[in-house]
Amino acid sequence: MATSFFYSLRFRLIASVVTIEIVMLSLLVWNNITIIHTTHTDRLRDTASSMIQQIANTSGNYMVAVDYATLQDYLGNVMHYQELAYLVILDRDDAPVITLGLAPREARPVIDPHPDSVTDGVFDISSEILVAGQPMGTVLMGFSLSLMEEAIHKSRIRGISIAAAEILLTVVVTVLIGLGLTRRLGVLSNAAQEVGGGNYSVNIPVETADEVGRTATAFNRMVAEVSNRTLKLEEAETRTRQLLTENRQLAQTSLTAQEDERKHLARELHDELGQCITAIRADAKSIRSLSKECDARVDASASAILDVASRIYEVVHSMMQRLRPGVLYDLGLVEALKEEISAWQERNPDTKCIITVSGDLADLGERVNITVYRIVQECLTNITKYAHASRVTVDLSNTEDKLVLKTEDDGKGIDLSIMTDGLGIIGMRERVEALGGEFQLDTGPGKGVSIMVTIPLMNAGNDTIEYI
Amino acid sequence: MRTLSLQSKHQCTGKHKLIAVIICCLLAIPTSIAAAERSNCRQTGPLVFGILPYISAEQLVYRFSPLANYLSEKLQIPVRIETAPHFIEFARRTHEDQHYDILFTAPHLYTQASRKAGFRLIVSIDSPDMWAVIVVPKQSDIQTIEDLERKQLATVHPLGLSTLLVRKRLLDAGIDPDVDLNLVITPSHDASLLSAYHGVTDASALMLPTFEASSKRVQESMRIIARTEKSPLIPISVGPRISDSCASEITSVLLNIGTTPEGRAVLEHNKFNGFRKANPDAYEKLDELLFR
Repeated sequence: MATSFFYSLRFRLIASVVTIEIVMLSLLVWNNITIIHTTHTDRLRDTASSMIQQIANTSGNYMVAVDYATLQDYLGNVMHYQELAYLVILDRDDAPVITLGLAPREARPVIDPHPDSVTDGVFDISSEILVAGQPMGTVLMGFSLSLMEEAIHKSRIRGISIAAAEILLTVVVTVLIGLGLTRRLGVLSNAAQEVGGGNYSVNIPVETADEVGRTATAFNRMVAEVSNRTLKLEEAETRTRQLLTENRQLAQTSLTAQEDERKHLARELHDELGQCITAIRADAKSIRSLSKECDARVDASASAILDVASRIYEVVHSMMQRLRPGVLYDLGLVEALKEEISAWQERNPDTKCIITVSGDLADLGERVNITVYRIVQECLTNITKYAHASRVTVDLSNTEDKLVLKTEDDGKGIDLSIMTDGLGIIGMRERVEALGGEFQLDTGPGKGVSIMVTIPLMNAGNDTIEYI
Repeated sequence: MRTLSLQSKHQCTGKHKLIAVIICCLLAIPTSIAAAERSNCRQTGPLVFGILPYISAEQLVYRFSPLANYLSEKLQIPVRIETAPHFIEFARRTHEDQHYDILFTAPHLYTQASRKAGFRLIVSIDSPDMWAVIVVPKQSDIQTIEDLERKQLATVHPLGLSTLLVRKRLLDAGIDPDVDLNLVITPSHDASLLSAYHGVTDASALMLPTFEASSKRVQESMRIIARTEKSPLIPISVGPRISDSCASEITSVLLNIGTTPEGRAVLEHNKFNGFRKANPDAYEKLDELLFR
C-alpha cells in the first residue's frame, strides 16, 4: 500500500522532532532573553541604588562642611563608572552645587522607578542626603542604558545563534537518525507486504541488536512459523479437497451402482417375472377359452387368474418404470418428465403441476438426465407426502453452459430448524454435487418449498450409462 | 494690610465706610506688630549656624540639629547647620568670608573672630566642666601625666582648645610636648578618644564635655589621668550681617530656652545646663594660649 510522503512515518517523525525542537528552543531563547533583560535591568537598578545610597551617605559630611571641592574630587572618581551619564548634587535650596556629566535640562528630572520605565535612554534616580536625619541636599544620578542595551543585544544575538546552531544540529541528527530508523522500518514494512502477498521466503537481515533488530529477528521467526503453518494448512486443504473429490466419486459410483442395480432389477422383473406373467396370462386365456364351453367354474377361475396376472403385470410394469424409466432412454428427458408429471397428476388430481422447459435439452448426457429425472421424481414424491400444495411448477432450462432446474410449490413448507436434510434432500444434494453442480433449498413454514439445481454442462454429453 | 486699608479709605464714602476703615485699621495693628516681630531676623534670610568641626560632621549635626531647629522655630526662619573640613578652613570662612551668622566656636577662636570679622558675643554655654582632660584605657600602665613621656598622645588640631590647654598642662608638668612625647593629630575629639580606646595611641586629649558625651561603653573603658585649667565657657556669637535686633532676638531665645519643654529637651539632648550672658573680657586671656 503506497503511503503519501506527508503521511509517512519518516516525515512525521522528523517533522515532529524538528517542530518540537524549534518551539522549545524558541521558548528557551525567549525565556533566556527575558531573564537576561531582567538581570541586566535589575543589576542596573541595584547598582544605581547602591551607588546613590553610598554617595548620599558619603556626601552628607561634605555638605555639612560645605567642602564641595573634596566632594567633587570624590564624585569625579565615581563618574569613571561607564554607565553613569550625569551626577548632580543639589543643596538644601535645590541649587546645583556640583554637576558632573551631561546634566539633565530640568533641575529635577522625572525619577524613573525602574530601568524598564525609561523613555529617554537615561535611568534617572535621586536620593536625599541626610545627616543625622537632617536633610542636607539631594543627589541626582542618571545612568545611560546604552551599555546595558548593548550587553543585552549581544546576549540576545549569542542566545539566538546558539539556538539556531542547536536547531540545525538537531535537524541534521534527527534527519539522519530518522532516515536510518525509517529505512529499516521500511524494510520491515516491505517484508510484511511480501509476506501478506504470500511470499514466505522473505528474510530480513538483522543489522543491529536494538529494538528494530529484535523486531526483525522476531519477524523472521514469525514468517518461518507462518510459512510452516501455511504449508501444513495447504496440505490439509489439498487432502480435504482430494477427500471431497473422492467422496463425490464415491457418491457417483454409489449412484451409478444404484442405477445399475435398478436397471438390473428392472431387467430381472422384465425378463423373469414379466415372462412368467405373460405365460400365466396366456395359459389363463387358453384355459378360459377351453373351459368356456365345458365348465363355467373353470372359466371363472381362468378369468380370475387372468385378472390377477394382469394386475401383477401392471404392478411390475409400474415398478419397472420407476426403476428404469424407459421413456427417458427412448424419448429423452423432457418427455420422461412430462410422462412422470402426467402420471403424478393423475394420482394427485387436486394439485396442479405445470412444467416449462427452455433451451436445448436433447444431449445433456445420461448422468444429467437421470439426475434431473430422479430429483423431479423425489420432489413430486415429497409434495405428495408432505406439502399439501395446490400448485407445483417445474422449470427446466439450458442456458449456455449450465442446466437449471427449479421446482416450486405453494405448500406448507418445511421448518428447517426442526428438520434438516431429510426428505431425500441429502440424496438430491449428493446427486447434484457428484456432477459438480449446486443445490439450493429455500423454504420455511408457510412459504412452500423452492429447490434450485444448477449443473454445469461441460462434457455432459460424453458420459453414457448402460441401459436395459 | 496698610495699603489695603488706605485703598479702602479712598474708595469708600459715607459714615459706614468710615467705620469700616477704622475697624480695618484696628485689625491691622496687631498684624503689623507681629510682622514687625518676625522681621528682626527674616530680613536676613536663612541663618547659617557655623559650628567648629571639633567632632565629626555627622555627630555635629546629630548634636546641634535640635538646637538649630529650635532656633528656626522661634525665629521663624531657616537655621542651617554648617561646618568646615577642618579648623583652619573654619577659621578662614569665619574671618575672611564672614560666612556664618551664628557662630559656635572654641573660646580661644572667638577672640580672633571678634577681632578680625566683627563677630559679637551674645551668650555662652553654661557648662561647668570646660576643661580638657587626658584619658587612657583603664588597663593602661599610665597613671599620671608624667608617665606620658615617650608615649603617643592623640589630640585634635594644634589650634584646638583642648590641644592648647593640654600643651600648657604638659609644660606646667615639665614635659615638652614637642620633645618628650609624640602628639598624634586626629581630625576630631571623637577620633582622638577612639584612637586611645582602640589602642592606636597610648592616651587621648580632649575636652571634658566631649568625653562625657561619648558612649557609655567608651567612657567606662577609659580613665582620666589629668585635667587642665578651666577654660572660659563656649561662646555663641553672631556675625556682622546680623542686625542688633535680630541678635537680641537670638539672645533672648537662647537665654530663655530653659523655659519651654522643647527648649529643655534641646538642652538635655546637648547635655547643656543652658545659656548665660557672656562677658567678652573673659576670653581675652586665651590669646596667650593661642600665641604661645
